[in-house]
Amino acid sequence: MEALLSRYRNLTVLLVVLVAQLLYLAYQVKTNRDERLIRVWAVSAVTPMAGMVEAMRHNTIGFMEDYFILLDVREQNRKLKADNDQLRMENVYYRNQLATAEHAQALTLFQKQTPSKTVAARVIGNSTVGTAKAVFVDRGSTSGIEKGMAVVTPEGIVGKVVAVYPLVSQVLLVTDPTFKVGIESQKGHVHGVLDCSSGKCIVDQVQNEEKVAVGEWFFTSGEDRVFPKGFPVGMVASSQTGQGMRDIKLNLSGAPGGVEDVLVVLQGVHQPIPASAPEDLSASELPAPPPEKGGEATETAKPQTEADKVLAKYAELGKQEEHVYGAVGSSIPNFNLKPETPAKPAADIAVPAKTDSAQPAGSEPKPLSSDTTKANNAGLAVQSAAKAPAQNSPAQNSPTQNNPAQSNSTQNHPAQVNSAQDHPVQNNRAQVSEAGVLGGRPSVKAAAPAVSAAATAENEV
Amino acid sequence: MSETGDQILERPLRESWFSRFQVVALAALTLVSIIGKFYLPRLIPHTEWLELPLLLTVYFGLMRRSQIASLLFGAFVGLAEDSLSPANLPIGMYGITKTLVGYFAASVSVRFNVENSAIRLVLCFFFFVFHAFFYWVMRRALLGQVIPFDPQETFVHGALNAAVALPLFAILDRMRLSGSL
Amino acid sequence: MALVDSVHRREEQVSAERPVRDDPKRAANKIALFQYLTVAVFIFLISGFWKLQVQNPDLYSEAAERNRIKSVPILAPRGRILDRDGRVIVDNKASYSLLLNREQIKPEHLPPIAAELGLDLDELSKKIRRMGSAPQIIIKDQLSRDDIAWIEAHQDDSAYPEMQLIRAWRRQYPQDGFATHVIGYVGEISESELNLPQYLDYQQGDIIGKDGLERQYDDQLRGVDGQQRVLVDSWGHERQMEASKQAVPGKDLHTTLDLDLQAVAELAMQDKRGAVVALDPRNGEILAMVSRPTFDANKFTGRISRTDWTEIAQDPHKPLLNRAIQAQLAPGSTFKPIMAIAGLETGVIDDETHFHCSGGASFYGHYFACHIKRGHGDVNLHLGIVQSCDVFFYNVGNRLGIDRIAQYAELAGIGHKTGVDLPNETQGTMPSSKWKMRMFRQKWYAGETISVAIGQGAVTVSPLQLAAAEGGLGVGGEWYQPHLLRSAAPKLLREGHFNPDNLSQVISGMYGVVNEGGTGRAGVLPGIKVCGKTGTAQVAATEKTKGAKLNSALANNVWFVGFAPMDHPEIVVAALYENGEESFHAVPIVRDVLKAYFDKKARREKKGETETASLLAPLRLLASPVPAHMNLPIPEGLPQ
Repeated sequence: MEALLSRYRNLTVLLVVLVAQLLYLAYQVKTNRDERLIRVWAVSAVTPMAGMVEAMRHNTIGFMEDYFILLDVREQNRKLKADNDQLRMENVYYRNQLATAEHAQALTLFQKQTPSKTVAARVIGNSTVGTAKAVFVDRGSTSGIEKGMAVVTPEGIVGKVVAVYPLVSQVLLVTDPTFKVGIESQKGHVHGVLDCSSGKCIVDQVQNEEKVAVGEWFFTSGEDRVFPKGFPVGMVASSQTGQGMRDIKLNLSGAPGGVEDVLVVLQGVHQPIPASAPEDLSASELPAPPPEKGGEATETAKPQTEADKVLAKYAELGKQEEHVYGAVGSSIPNFNLKPETPAKPAADIAVPAKTDSAQPAGSEPKPLSSDTTKANNAGLAVQSAAKAPAQNSPAQNSPTQNNPAQSNSTQNHPAQVNSAQDHPVQNNRAQVSEAGVLGGRPSVKAAAPAVSAAATAENEV
Repeated sequence: MSETGDQILERPLRESWFSRFQVVALAALTLVSIIGKFYLPRLIPHTEWLELPLLLTVYFGLMRRSQIASLLFGAFVGLAEDSLSPANLPIGMYGITKTLVGYFAASVSVRFNVENSAIRLVLCFFFFVFHAFFYWVMRRALLGQVIPFDPQETFVHGALNAAVALPLFAILDRMRLSGSL
Repeated sequence: MALVDSVHRREEQVSAERPVRDDPKRAANKIALFQYLTVAVFIFLISGFWKLQVQNPDLYSEAAERNRIKSVPILAPRGRILDRDGRVIVDNKASYSLLLNREQIKPEHLPPIAAELGLDLDELSKKIRRMGSAPQIIIKDQLSRDDIAWIEAHQDDSAYPEMQLIRAWRRQYPQDGFATHVIGYVGEISESELNLPQYLDYQQGDIIGKDGLERQYDDQLRGVDGQQRVLVDSWGHERQMEASKQAVPGKDLHTTLDLDLQAVAELAMQDKRGAVVALDPRNGEILAMVSRPTFDANKFTGRISRTDWTEIAQDPHKPLLNRAIQAQLAPGSTFKPIMAIAGLETGVIDDETHFHCSGGASFYGHYFACHIKRGHGDVNLHLGIVQSCDVFFYNVGNRLGIDRIAQYAELAGIGHKTGVDLPNETQGTMPSSKWKMRMFRQKWYAGETISVAIGQGAVTVSPLQLAAAEGGLGVGGEWYQPHLLRSAAPKLLREGHFNPDNLSQVISGMYGVVNEGGTGRAGVLPGIKVCGKTGTAQVAATEKTKGAKLNSALANNVWFVGFAPMDHPEIVVAALYENGEESFHAVPIVRDVLKAYFDKKARREKKGETETASLLAPLRLLASPVPAHMNLPIPEGLPQ
């Protein structure tokens, strides 16, 4: 035996090494454990060099000394840039709030949002293997980063933290095939799932009937419990009726592959799902986002086939001619008289606020009522909330909010309530002092954002 | 038979290598190659195809000629690479692949004139394709993951890597000969 | 130092060895080969070990199972159902369904899953048991957005890994029960259906057509589900799909229905009970079929809850009944045209025949009243039809006798299934002496013939039978099989070979019903010669005469059958208005449908569309000899 081993020593060593690695692999797969120790070592060993490489990239070759001299300036610069990003992002959020909730509430909530909610980080390396897409960023657990946190830029979402080391974190990019993000269109509040598994980013799970226009923006919906609601995701590049589901292609606004500086969203509620007790899941997840304006209307608009349209057309014809079908004594109908107004498909009638951005203010309180009911159901009782003046900018062309009719009905149904719920991040704190907050805030004369401008507007800041 | 094969040839080689190929320098090279793999694409876009760790393993295998040393080196490089891969891939995939690459590279080195550029070119190409294919097979067989395998792309990348390997190997040769390595 | 040196040294050693070995090079090769083979075998063994130890979910830990290939069905969409112009009546809507992978189901997971998705835990458990060995059980269809979000967040291994979201197709029926009875609905195959021979290929959990066209053409509409292999890694991520068996969508079903007519008929039947059938008597194509009350088939798509089902099934008005083919009611006076042609053809009456109506007549010791108590006076055939004089037809029936009546009625299709391509058609009853002997072992009494002569007594028809019968009369005594499949060739069932003069007498009587102040005068359409016949069938006549409280349930069922144009009818419409009370109440229903037909035809002609041809008779019929009754004088300027 010994002779055999020594004769085939090479082979034996090979097999031993292979088997060792296979066993190790099997152990990992079977226990589903991430081998932290080895990774920590490797990452720690590589990170300083990575930082240098990154620095080299930032500086012209041969100016290493300058780097050290200018370190302060650069650091300051970087801080400013981070602050700037922070502000831009808050601006985005703020605009969103303006678009979806009462100004006063939005402002209060905005103030409640502490600047420390995010931490700026720099991408220091790719760790792309095959189709898996991830990057390293230069902040780790010492900066308070935890696994599962969302990573964003003011322009758009980037990814989520999948591994945290003391000084470095690994961020899985949204372009990774396994990554799915719950998103929502800005105008129609059409919900979908961002899916980049095919190489191109598409919005999945959107029904053909839903209206999604090219150029429309999608924002995170908060439904995936990773990204807080309201971060820009991307703009619709194409939207076509597809097989069963609508084919929507999205241009990501965050350019996840090419970003350098990102913000990691730190928030206590974001924790990985505990492995053991499913019952406790809800406690460790972000709360579900609140019902969305207009969302209900989508569901109440009954889906139709052409049969329904034909029926609606004839019903309309009958009405116009005051003809009661099949009734004794009714006049003979004439089906060849052109109806004065073409019969609209019921979907359009039912959800005007969703689809028709040119809707004059105050003409259509309908969608709100469904909304308020829903909010009531949710048990969100906030009184003076609605009185918070809804200042309408003339530029406001979103019919979703802020027209007089709507503020009226908000008064009746204390509903708009809790825009805090619109943004799960703020939830914890915002609810505490709701009443005071709502009463105390006078009008905010911020320009209401044009629909879809919110995400792009940060350039002006 | 006991006197056949590489065993008998190793002693003088190893000595010469240990005298010149210092372990530290080797480790530094390894680190550079791995960092290169993960950070080069950030420096120079569209260089994801470059497999520096693989080329280094092949070079080590071809020049070192010791199967054991090569496979251990391959395993080390591969595991280091694994450690830096996205956290949702288990460690060991590159380790196993590169172990085999190191072993085979050392094995074939006795049959070819590894100083010959043409042979180096072919071997690098071959090992790249083997590496890519074997990695794909491992992902599929061991992890049950189906990732796309594009032979055409693999061949192109193999050719590119082989092309990079030539000057790289020449530089390494020079470093080795000058004794700095 | 150079490697070259070492190589040289090595070569020296090799050459030094040469004398010792016979063929050392060959031996070295052998060794190398042996080594590679060993490695290969070893890798092979390792892979076996791996499969068994790591990937085999049954033998080893659950964690390994997480890295698995799941086989997920791709549900094939059913074919759509289209109207004659290709407009979509029944569509499919993409939706999501939740299925549970049996092997991973943990009993303690069911309560939270049921609670989160609003399912009944008992029903869910029962279903899982019922599904026996099926590897996957679809437990909820048409998931809402909330459901999907919840499932996606909880289908990982730490929560409920048995959950699997799949894309499904929901049947999209028109709203508010539009054409529901013709279309039918789909549902999960039942235990009893599984045992039927025609469902041999089906499995537990399959969705099948349960009624109407959905059931009749289930084979065609039903697609073939595909399989898709989904790789789930140990993090619960679903990875790329392996080559899958593609789903084959069902074929679209082109029907003969015309949505325009169907819509008008639906509107005309709103808030009524009864049925409307419109068909093209020249080929049997059914243009519209309405039955009321109706139900929303969308509730039935997929898996209906028990409460919904009982609510519909136990409705006293029987919304599930397709009255158009399943109602069995006395045709009343609508039977009279058949009596008339029978009388004329057998020669028991002719155009000279008169009977006196004094408000009733006695036959075989019984007094049979006319519907007008003061009587119609002297009545010939034309007047008899126009004024629907019962006494005239008592006499005709008396002269004919039951078996000759039955002969002609059966020629028109009374008492026989029309063979329409819908399930569960009833055949109605056409009594005859043989029938009575067969059914009751009794001989027929001549007195019974009298009430049959006016469409009462034992004779019962469905609206479809009546439309087909009168329509066939209208086109000159040819009866085509009514059908809904657009591509079906017209099938001539029976031919009357009637004397054209006789036929034209009957038809002119029916023209009079509408246009000469008869009971169907509400059916007049300017420019179109509408013929028709009203009918009243008494319900519970005895209770009424006993002075019981007259409520709507006891009011008469009324009929109107109309066809137009008089000379070559293109459409026949039968309307049944249950408890409609007065016979003329059914007339406007038919009139509106006819108007819709001719208005549409005018639109098409105006547009000059070539499709007109398809609305008109198929070529075969156009080429056939002109029916004799078309030789009647045609007033100028009327459209035909």
